[in-house]
Amino acid sequence: MDLSRLGAFVTKSITLEERPGNEPTRIVETRAGMLNAIGLANVGLQRFLKEKVPLLQKMPCPVIVNVAGHSVDDYTSASAAMDSLECVAGVELNVSCPNVKDGLVFGTDPKRLRSLVTEVKRVVPTKPLIVKLSPNVDDITATARAAVDGGADILSLVNTFTAMAVDINTRKPRLANVTGGLSGPAIKPIALHLVSRVYRSVAQSAEVPIIGMGGIQYWQDAVEFILAGASAVAVGTALFVDPATPNKIVDGLNQYLIEQKVDDLADLVGTLRLP
Amino acid sequence: MSQTRDQYAAEVVASIPLCQEHWKLVLHLQHFPTTAPGQFVQVACRDLELNYSQEQDLDWADDQPVQIDHAELSQRLAFLRRPFSLAGRRDSAGGVEIDLIHRVVGMGTDWLSRLKPGQKVQLIGPLGNRHTLPGQKSSDEAVAILVGGGVGIPPMIYLASQLAGRKAVAFCGAVTRNLLPLTITNAAVAPTATSIEPLYNIEEFATFGIPAVISTDDGSYGYQGFVTQALERYLDRYFMDEPARGRAIIYTCGPEVMMKRVAQIAEARRIECQVAVERAMACGMGTCQSCVIRVKKADPAAAPMPGSDWCYRLACTDGPVFLSTDLLW
Repeated sequence: MDLSRLGAFVTKSITLEERPGNEPTRIVETRAGMLNAIGLANVGLQRFLKEKVPLLQKMPCPVIVNVAGHSVDDYTSASAAMDSLECVAGVELNVSCPNVKDGLVFGTDPKRLRSLVTEVKRVVPTKPLIVKLSPNVDDITATARAAVDGGADILSLVNTFTAMAVDINTRKPRLANVTGGLSGPAIKPIALHLVSRVYRSVAQSAEVPIIGMGGIQYWQDAVEFILAGASAVAVGTALFVDPATPNKIVDGLNQYLIEQKVDDLADLVGTLRLP
Repeated sequence: MSQTRDQYAAEVVASIPLCQEHWKLVLHLQHFPTTAPGQFVQVACRDLELNYSQEQDLDWADDQPVQIDHAELSQRLAFLRRPFSLAGRRDSAGGVEIDLIHRVVGMGTDWLSRLKPGQKVQLIGPLGNRHTLPGQKSSDEAVAILVGGGVGIPPMIYLASQLAGRKAVAFCGAVTRNLLPLTITNAAVAPTATSIEPLYNIEEFATFGIPAVISTDDGSYGYQGFVTQALERYLDRYFMDEPARGRAIIYTCGPEVMMKRVAQIAEARRIECQVAVERAMACGMGTCQSCVIRVKKADPAAAPMPGSDWCYRLACTDGPVFLSTDLLW
């Protein structure tokens, strides 16, 4: 796969301390989607610097590192380390993991989110700071605005939807964590709506670009997100079905631009024709 | 080992019903990297060319059922790929043929069972680590003891093909004869319900000069009881002393409860036991971090998780083959 054609590669979440993750079972396939409760399993900052950075240095596309934490200090320590790495093009804050205790605390409370973003932006002066928003809130425009007010350079949305699945024979939840995050095509229409909402209510006027995600599998999905206001799109779950998905989307977008007689994809961002 | 893993389009050569619910899918590829027993492939159990379908307007009409023709809604489609161990491989000038044996348990395997010769199947592989063969391990006198249960039998068949000419014996168990995905040769002597003497009565193993003991829970063929009971009796008859046990290596794949018992039997006799585990997985490539299994750490101070005497390993890239003595399950 030709990674050089992609806008960026986003890592899974890195935390200050190494984390083993949740007990299995960690994933369940659902209708047109996937439920996961991995629990931020990762090698931690120190091993990330030693073991993963050399791999990232060889990536033929920009690398965005996703950072998660339990406290403001966790986030700032890990983010500051990322800011100093030449191979890192941007830092994305995971304030919306539904699968760890306290994972949603920052992502659902606009005040705490704003102060977290302010603190992190202070230690990430040289790279774009992306804040990944949770859909598990009453009003996503409130957290979007908080992130922007705190200094987010880019918003990415949405993370997974808290959900569950039950084994009717054992009468137990299918995930050891009981609940997990739902992703895949099943969530696409909801994610699209949230991107559209955040774009019109917050991002457009603030001139903060959106990275849209949530169930994107085909280039047509990507176009929908772009029309709704996303400047870029990200693909996650669909990679497990077809690792060539991002390149197929790039091909499809190029073809679409030709057919639509549009020179630059940026000219399509937010051009949804509302009634 | 899996550095050359990639996505390949395979063509269906044959899809053969083996017994109740079990099918053998023979796939042809122009090229496929070197593989070894224990390794697996991630198969897209759906047509990946089945492309985007726009959300549809629904036409509601009185007294008419709503027509839903969105592919994801109108039919049951396996979303994620499914991992299948390799059950066999044949290389020729024309390319590579691989065998996958699967049991129809859901929509993915149901889709596979309906494939017709000539259809295309997308697979990613080869994935995972590999069994250590006896020859790589110890003296020529080594004896490989293969223990497969149900749909864990297929990787034992591939392993058997790599053991031709070596001393080996296969133990295979199923609930009942109709759920045994193996070919019983009529010409051979039929086993009795209490016998644990290996016979050359199973084509998949006899082809490679390996005798087999078959067990069924209900006694409908071979030894009546669990395959672990047959194995234990066999070991107590033929592997009584330390030197004999030291030459043996047990390989096992099957239901977890069976493999745990096989591991206990092996460990009680200090026989090396290589377990091929099965875990729910999404990617098969170490990315999604779903298919974890707990293993002991030799050095608790070492990474990962310094200070802990166990850690998670991934069935997909650290496994699927583990030494039984390393597993905490």
